[in-house]
Amino acid sequence: MNKLFKSKIYFDQYLFIAITLLSIMGLVFLYSASQENFETTFKQSFFVIFGLILMFALSQLDPDFYKNNSLIFLILSILLVILTLLIGKEVNGAKRWLDLGLFTLQSSEVIKISLPVFLAAYLYDKTLPINLFHTFVALILIFFVVNLVRIQPDLGTSLVIFIAGVYILFLAGLSWRFIGASFGIFILSLPFIWNNLLMPFQRQRVLTLLDPSADPYGSGWNITQSKIAIGSGGIQGKGYQEGSQAHLDFLPETETDFIFSVIAEEFGFIGVCILLLVFFFILLRCLYLALNARDRFCRLTIGGLSLLFISTIFINLAMVVGIIPVVGMPLPFISKGGSSLLSFYIAFGIIISMATHKKLMQK
Amino acid sequence: MIDLNRTVSEKKNFFNRLIIIYAFFGLLFLYFLYKTFSLQVSSYTDYEIAALENKTREILVQPRRGIIFDRNGKILVNNVPSYNLIISPSQIDDLDSLLDQIQPIVSLSDEDIEYVNKNYQSRAKLNRELIIKRNLTIEEIAKFEIREHRFPGVLIDERYTRENLYPNLFSHSVGYVGNIDDNKLEEILFKQELQPKETIFRYSNGHLIGQTGLESVYDSDLRGSYGKKIYEVDASGKLLREIEEIQELDGKNIYTSLDLETQKVAYKQLNNRRGAVVAVDIRNGAIVSYLSSPSFSVNKIANGLSNKEFQKLLNDKNKPFFDRAAQGRYSPASTIKPAIGLYGLENKIINWDYFINDPGFFILPEDQRILRGWKKGGHGNINLNNAIIESSNTFFFSLAYKSDINELIEFLSNFGFGKNICVDCFLPDKGLLPNPKWKMNNLNFGWVKGDTVNLGVGQGYMSATPIQLAYYAALIANKGILNEFSFVQDSEETAKNNLISTNINDNDWEKIHRSMIGVIESPKGTAQRLRQLRDFTIAAKSGTVELVSTETKEDYKIIRKVEEKRDHAIIVAFGPMPNPKYAVSVVIENGESGGSVAGPVAIAVLNNLLKE
Repeated sequence: MNKLFKSKIYFDQYLFIAITLLSIMGLVFLYSASQENFETTFKQSFFVIFGLILMFALSQLDPDFYKNNSLIFLILSILLVILTLLIGKEVNGAKRWLDLGLFTLQSSEVIKISLPVFLAAYLYDKTLPINLFHTFVALILIFFVVNLVRIQPDLGTSLVIFIAGVYILFLAGLSWRFIGASFGIFILSLPFIWNNLLMPFQRQRVLTLLDPSADPYGSGWNITQSKIAIGSGGIQGKGYQEGSQAHLDFLPETETDFIFSVIAEEFGFIGVCILLLVFFFILLRCLYLALNARDRFCRLTIGGLSLLFISTIFINLAMVVGIIPVVGMPLPFISKGGSSLLSFYIAFGIIISMATHKKLMQK
Repeated sequence: MIDLNRTVSEKKNFFNRLIIIYAFFGLLFLYFLYKTFSLQVSSYTDYEIAALENKTREILVQPRRGIIFDRNGKILVNNVPSYNLIISPSQIDDLDSLLDQIQPIVSLSDEDIEYVNKNYQSRAKLNRELIIKRNLTIEEIAKFEIREHRFPGVLIDERYTRENLYPNLFSHSVGYVGNIDDNKLEEILFKQELQPKETIFRYSNGHLIGQTGLESVYDSDLRGSYGKKIYEVDASGKLLREIEEIQELDGKNIYTSLDLETQKVAYKQLNNRRGAVVAVDIRNGAIVSYLSSPSFSVNKIANGLSNKEFQKLLNDKNKPFFDRAAQGRYSPASTIKPAIGLYGLENKIINWDYFINDPGFFILPEDQRILRGWKKGGHGNINLNNAIIESSNTFFFSLAYKSDINELIEFLSNFGFGKNICVDCFLPDKGLLPNPKWKMNNLNFGWVKGDTVNLGVGQGYMSATPIQLAYYAALIANKGILNEFSFVQDSEETAKNNLISTNINDNDWEKIHRSMIGVIESPKGTAQRLRQLRDFTIAAKSGTVELVSTETKEDYKIIRKVEEKRDHAIIVAFGPMPNPKYAVSVVIENGESGGSVAGPVAIAVLNNLLKE
């Protein structure tokens, strides 16, 4: 008992330092992006501290704990999503938040972690490469969850959840033939998706991406102003708290979706590169950890969660520079929003746990 | 063993796939980095400018236009503040509901609303303001200001409009202002190096530019220099703080030589008849009265006339817009006679003792054509003095007959005929001093002696404007020495142009003056009726411009039934004699008699000028 207790602290200093650094950078950026709003920044820093502690705590748990309880987590998070649909707080026509008194929970942020963890656990004892039956079981589950989130509506997060689920299947050896066939079906069903699954405003966003200048004061406003903010930052940036696009309200959603534009405006290309370096460091560390994970469950989970992380970053960045249409997507560890922030601390807590717990007896 | 192999191959497969995705994202991030690089480095300048344009708004500051004074320092044209209700379309989401809310506070006509609806979209795109109602009343201003907070994007702006205190008196001399068009404004700002491309005009249609008369001629002096305020704005277009200001420079005041009281007299005298009056100070060529009649209200034109009213003025058969004083062409008729007489003296064709017999007509030797005088039976034995007093045609027919046409034309041009004699008149006409070359080019006929003879009595092709006639009168009055005419004089101007190289001595001038005094004072004078009207001794020469050539008085009686075919009445006069100060010309279209119709106008004007 005593021996077990003092045996080890499970800790990956590389990830921990990088994420702490990123979180501090995020607070600095947010202070400027929120127009020097102390309250917003203070609230966010509380989540950061809580998140770091949570991450550390979660990394102490044995991977088997996650594996054994993944189904419970999944069911709980599905219930949360359904509850959100029923009694969620409506903001701008979207029901994404569950008011928990102390803070409002964005339930889709929870399920985006529990789904890939469950899928990894589900595939733990199956024969790999994954066969058609298990593929379908997994896909049905994925589509079910994705749809629950999509009808909130939260297109961005549902997309990420879908991607995270598919990553697990892909890493589990989904056959190339199946991938090819699905891709073909996807292309063929694009008109159907366009007409039936996308809401009018979502369609407009796609059209805007293709030609933002068509209506620069209307639907093209966000992306036009974002590009101006980024472009006018130049190499060195305008200086901290000096971004005119951000501070004179030209840029929308500066605290959340478009926080990168603020960073790019105030810190320039140099600032952008430094931020990307920190992200890349974390991602490469995840890759290393995935390759050295102790078993299949850990491999799949680290792989899936790190790809979730990379996808979120890319979608946000690609959105603000106008590569993809505008979808609601925060920049991990930087954007305002407790749920999104905590979800990534949780994800990395799980990753560190899987990377640091070695099996005593390697099979 | 088998299990181990499987595990190894599964691991390998996993690594490959994970690396594929990482590589895929690596490429995506490279593309993202490229895109960011191109925004921040390659296209930096474009976006830097775009951000600057976003956050700054340059607002044009209109300088106050110069005030125009008469020669006694009385204000003729002033600026009055006017308050306009303005919207910024880019800040307004729902125009219709806004207009509905404004309606009870500031009443808008259908025309106003139509104008707003028509221009709303384009102004919103350009981020410019739009006037929705001009010239608000005090009550409307008060009502709006209490509720201003309810209307973001709506404001009241103070602006100066032009007010002519005597809107009908100076319609053609001072003229009027109008809204400047965007291109012209841009040109002006460009000259001032105000970088008009970057300036968002508050609303360009509130800026004024002189359109006619002195307002146009002296526009650059009156206008002053535009200023500019550069503000920092936020996305809603709210002005946050002033970054830079370029001070505007008010326009210069203009002190004209026009005399308000005389102008009033002339206006009253003409009484909206078609015609013109020009009076000048002969000592410096200063125009003291300048009237074209009928006139129109310049204030109405400058402050926006409805299309209907404008069309009515434009189609008025009396042509109120037409500046008869500077652009009306009239035959000088008998008023030319003193000049022809001076020509005869200059070239020694006649002297003061030269007499001819006037039987009432002149037979042109070339074709035996009979040219008649106005008096049946003629004036008998007559010399130059009496020929001017009685206006003998025969005397001047025969004098002209003996002249050399080119010499005669050269001589007449010294009196200002056929050329511009005004420094600052608005689009003056040169009239027509015909010559053989002109006739060949324009009418395809050679010059004949009959043309020269006709010129001798101011009929035929020759025409002159009322300012030219005034110049001609002033030149005789001042004995051949005269400045070009002007409304505004440099105070230091003393140089005088001697216009006639001369065989004519001072004695000749005095005799000409005396004969022109005789036109009024002599019992035989053609304008003797003016004797009762004049307060001073005045020299004059009247004329009657035949529009239709008639043989007998009976023929003319038929003709005169149509008003437009009646003779024009014309007179030139100057005084007080023997040391004249002012000269005047009067034309009254279809007035029939120079002496008795145009004459009283000239006398009234001179009486007023000289009474001081």
